[in-house]
Amino acid sequence: MDAHDDDDGRIVDSGSRRRFLATTGAAAAASLAGCGGFLTGSSDDASGSVSLSDFRGSGPMVEQRGEPDGTSISELPDLSGELTVYLGGGEGGLYLDLIELLETEYADFDVNHQRDSSSDLANKIIEESRAGAVQADAFLAVDAGSLGAVAEEDAAASLGEDVLEPVPDAFRDGQGRWVGFAGRARAVPYNTNEFSESDVPSTVHDFPDTIAGSMGWGPSYGAFQSFVTAMRLDRGDDATRDWLNAMLEAGVSQYGNEWEVSNAVANGELQAGFANHYYTLRVKRSRPDAPIGLAFTEGDAGALVNVSGAQLLQGSENVDLAENFFRHLLSAEAQEFFATRTFAYPMIPGVEPVGGLPTIDELNPPDIDLTELADVSGTVDMLRDVGAL
Amino acid sequence: MATDDLDRVREQVGGETTDSRVSRPLVAVGFGVALLVLSPLVWLLLRAAAIEPSQAVELLTLPTTVDVTLNTLVLVAGVTTASLALGVPLAILTVQTDLPFRRFWTVTSALPLVVPSYIGAFAFVSAFGPHGLLADLLGVELPEIYGLHGTVFVLTLFTYPYVFLTTRAALLSFDGTVVEAARSLNHTRWEAFKRVTLPQITPGIAAGALLVALYALSDFGTPAIMQYDVFTRMIYNEFGARRLDYASVLSLLLLAMALAILAVESRINAGRDGAYVSRGARRPGEIKLGKWKVPALLFCALVATLCLLLPVGILLLWLVRGGSGYAAGGFSFEPSFAWNSVSLAAAAAAVCVVAALPLAYLSARSDDRIGSLPDRLSYVGYAVPGVVLGLALVYLGLRYVPFLYQSVLLLVFAYVVRFMPQAVGTTKSSLLQVDPSYVEAARSLGYPPLAAFRRVVLPLVAPGIVAGAALVFLTTMKELPATLMLRPTGFETFVTYIWLVRDAGYYGQAAIPALVLVAVSGLSMLVILGREKYDAT
Repeated sequence: MDAHDDDDGRIVDSGSRRRFLATTGAAAAASLAGCGGFLTGSSDDASGSVSLSDFRGSGPMVEQRGEPDGTSISELPDLSGELTVYLGGGEGGLYLDLIELLETEYADFDVNHQRDSSSDLANKIIEESRAGAVQADAFLAVDAGSLGAVAEEDAAASLGEDVLEPVPDAFRDGQGRWVGFAGRARAVPYNTNEFSESDVPSTVHDFPDTIAGSMGWGPSYGAFQSFVTAMRLDRGDDATRDWLNAMLEAGVSQYGNEWEVSNAVANGELQAGFANHYYTLRVKRSRPDAPIGLAFTEGDAGALVNVSGAQLLQGSENVDLAENFFRHLLSAEAQEFFATRTFAYPMIPGVEPVGGLPTIDELNPPDIDLTELADVSGTVDMLRDVGAL
Repeated sequence: MATDDLDRVREQVGGETTDSRVSRPLVAVGFGVALLVLSPLVWLLLRAAAIEPSQAVELLTLPTTVDVTLNTLVLVAGVTTASLALGVPLAILTVQTDLPFRRFWTVTSALPLVVPSYIGAFAFVSAFGPHGLLADLLGVELPEIYGLHGTVFVLTLFTYPYVFLTTRAALLSFDGTVVEAARSLNHTRWEAFKRVTLPQITPGIAAGALLVALYALSDFGTPAIMQYDVFTRMIYNEFGARRLDYASVLSLLLLAMALAILAVESRINAGRDGAYVSRGARRPGEIKLGKWKVPALLFCALVATLCLLLPVGILLLWLVRGGSGYAAGGFSFEPSFAWNSVSLAAAAAAVCVVAALPLAYLSARSDDRIGSLPDRLSYVGYAVPGVVLGLALVYLGLRYVPFLYQSVLLLVFAYVVRFMPQAVGTTKSSLLQVDPSYVEAARSLGYPPLAAFRRVVLPLVAPGIVAGAALVFLTTMKELPATLMLRPTGFETFVTYIWLVRDAGYYGQAAIPALVLVAVSGLSMLVILGREKYDAT
C-alpha cells in the first residue's frame, strides 16, 4: 500500500468546519501513514537522547505544526524504577510505543504491562481489590466508564493536585481518582459517494428522521454504550429510549464494533454510522481512497468526548513513580504523540489536534460527569429492552 | 454383539473392578480429577446466588433471553448437522474408497481445525462481505454472508474436522469382515453400510458431533463477527456492564444447554459396548467409486479451497497490503511470544493426557453410569465460554491459591478445564479397542494391576493418547479469552498479539503470526494423522 496516493488535491471550497474536517482530517491521516517505522531507528540510541521529533508523527500536516505548549519532559523529574501497568484497549499497543520512548529516555525506567479490553481489566481489578491483592500500580483505560467503575469500588487512590492541574475539569475525576490523557470524540462517519455531507444532521436527535435506514452502530461496543449512557445522563431515560426505538424503526444495522462500522461506511455498505472519531482516520490510513468523511453533532451526547485516562490503584507501593509517569503522559511531548500518532484529542490546552479537527472547546460536548459513565448497567438493560442488544 | 459376548466382557470388567487395590483408588482419582475440573463452576454458583431469585427468573424469561436461546440452539443444531454432512462423507471417502490421493485429502480434510474460527470468520467477511474482495474481483453482488446461514457456514468449515477425525478413527478400527459377511448375504452396499457399518461407527461420529456442538455453543468470536445474536454475546454484554451476577445466571443457563447436549449424546452412545473390537481387525474391501470419482474429488477440493486456501490467501493479502508503514515499537512481534505459545500448549497437552487417563479408563472399563460419570462431567468445562472461565479463575485463584495467581500454572489449569475432554475422548476410544482379556492374561502371569496396565495397555493406547495430546495442543494454541484474562503480566502469546494488532486494525501485522500459528498447529495435526500408521495396517 502506498500511503501517498491520497487525493490531497481535493480542495475544500468553504469554511464549513464540518466539511473541512471531512477532507483535511483524512489527508492528515494518509500523510501520517508512512511514518510508523522510524521509532525502531531511534530506540537504538543511547538513553536520554529522545527529542520532540521522536514523539511527533511525520508528514506535511504535522510538519507545519508549531512547538507544542505545556510542560516539557525535560522540566519533569526523571522516571526511575519499575511500574506495573494494566493497559486497556486495542490502542494500548500505540500507548506502548510511547512507553517505549520513555523507557529509552530513562535507562532506569521499566514498565511491566498487561493488555486486555478496558472493561475486562476493570472487572479484574475489582476482583483483585476485593481479594486485597491488586497486582498493578496503575490502570490506563480507553473509557472513563471503566475508570469510574474502579473508582466507585474504592480501588483507586486520589492523585495529587499537581498531576491533575494541567487537565480541564471536564476530563478528570472530581475526586482525583483518574485523569484523562487523550480524548475520544463521538462522531458520524459518512460515505462521501452515497451520501451528501450537508445531509448529516447536527444533532443526534434528528437522525432517525433524516436518514432512513443505511445507518450502522455497534450496540455491544463499550464506546457506544458510553454514548447511550451519556444520552441518558443528558436527556433522561424516556427520551433516550424513544431515540433508540426510532433508530431501530428506521432500520439501523448492527455491528460488532466501531472499526467495523467505519469500514462498512467506507465500503458503501452504510451511508453513515456512529463511531469514535479516530476510526475514520484509521480507515483512511489503511485505505487512502476510501470515500469516508467525518461529521460531528453539537451540544448533545453525539458530541460526547470520552477519555483515555490514567488511574493510580489502591495499594500501589509506587505512588510517586506512578504520579510522575502520569505527569509525563501529560507533558507537551506525550500530548503531541497522542495527537499526531493516535489522532486523539490532546488533553492540555497547549497542544492542537491534528488535521483541522475542531479543538475540544469547539466540540461542545454534553455537560455530564464522565465518572458517571460507569453506570452501563442501566444502558445495557435499556438496549436489551428495546431489542438493540 | 451377542448377549453372551457381552456377558463375557462384563465378567472380565467385573473381575477387574472387584480388585479393590486398583479400582477404589481409580474411582477416587477419577472423581477427584472431575471435581477439580468442575471447581471453577463454584464461582458461577456463588455469583448467581447474589441475585434475587425473582430477578433471575425475570432475566431468564425476558423475550430477548428466549429469542437468543432459540437462536443459539438453532445455531448448534445447524453447525452439528452440517459438520456431520461434511465430516462423515469425507471420512468414508478417505478410508473406504479408491479416491485418488487419499493421503493428501486426509490431510486437507483435517487441517481446517488448525485455523482459529475467528480468523476464518474475518477471512470470510472480508472476502464475501458486501464490497468484499471476492465481490470486487468478480464484479458481482454476492449473497449476504451475515446472519444465521453465514455463521453456520463458517463455524462448520472450521469445526467439522472433529467429526472427520473421530469418524475416521472409528472406520479404521472396526472389523471389516462383518461388512463382507453382510455383502455375502446379498445386502446392497447401502444396506450393508446402514445395518452393519453405521451402528459400529456411530459412537465415533457422536463423539465428534459432541465436540462440534459444544464448541458452537460456547464460541463467542465467530457469531459476533458474523452478526448473529447468540447466548455468549448476552453473557459478554453483562461482563462489559460489569454485572457479574447477571452474567453468571446466563452462564448457568448456557451450561444447562450443554448438559442437554451431553444427555442427547449419551443416549446415542448408550450401546457403546459394541465398540469393543479386537485390534488387527481386517479392513473392509475398498469401495470402487466409478463414475462418482470426479464428483468426490470436486467435493474434497471444494472443502479444502474454502477451509484452507481462502483463509490463508486472505492472510497473505493482509500481509501484502499491510506494508511496512505500520511497523512500530509496541506492535513488534517478538520470538518469545511464539515460544510462550508453544510451551504453554505443550504443557497443557501433557497435563491433559495424564489427567484424562483415569477418566477414560474408568469410563471404558465400567459398565455402570457411575464409572462414566467423571468422563461426562469433564465435558462441562469444555462448554464454559473462555471469558467466564477466566474470571472464575481470577476470583477463585486470588482467594484460595493466591500464590498461583498470575502464574503459568493457573493458565495451564484453565486449558485443562477447557480442553481435557478432547484427550478423554481419543484415549477412551483407544482403550475400548483393547481386549480386557489381555490385562487378565498379564495379571495371571503375576503382574500387579498397575504394572499390567503399564506393560500391556499403555503401549496399545499410546497412539490414542498422542492424538489427544495433539488435539489439546492445537486448541490451546488457538485459545484467546482465558489466555487474556489469566496470563502473567508481561507474558504474550501468538493469539494475544494477534488480538492486539487486529483489534487496533493492524491486519498486516496480524498476518505473519497468524500464518505461523496455523503452520505450527498444522505440524501437530500431522502427528494425529501419523498415528494412523498403526491403525491402518
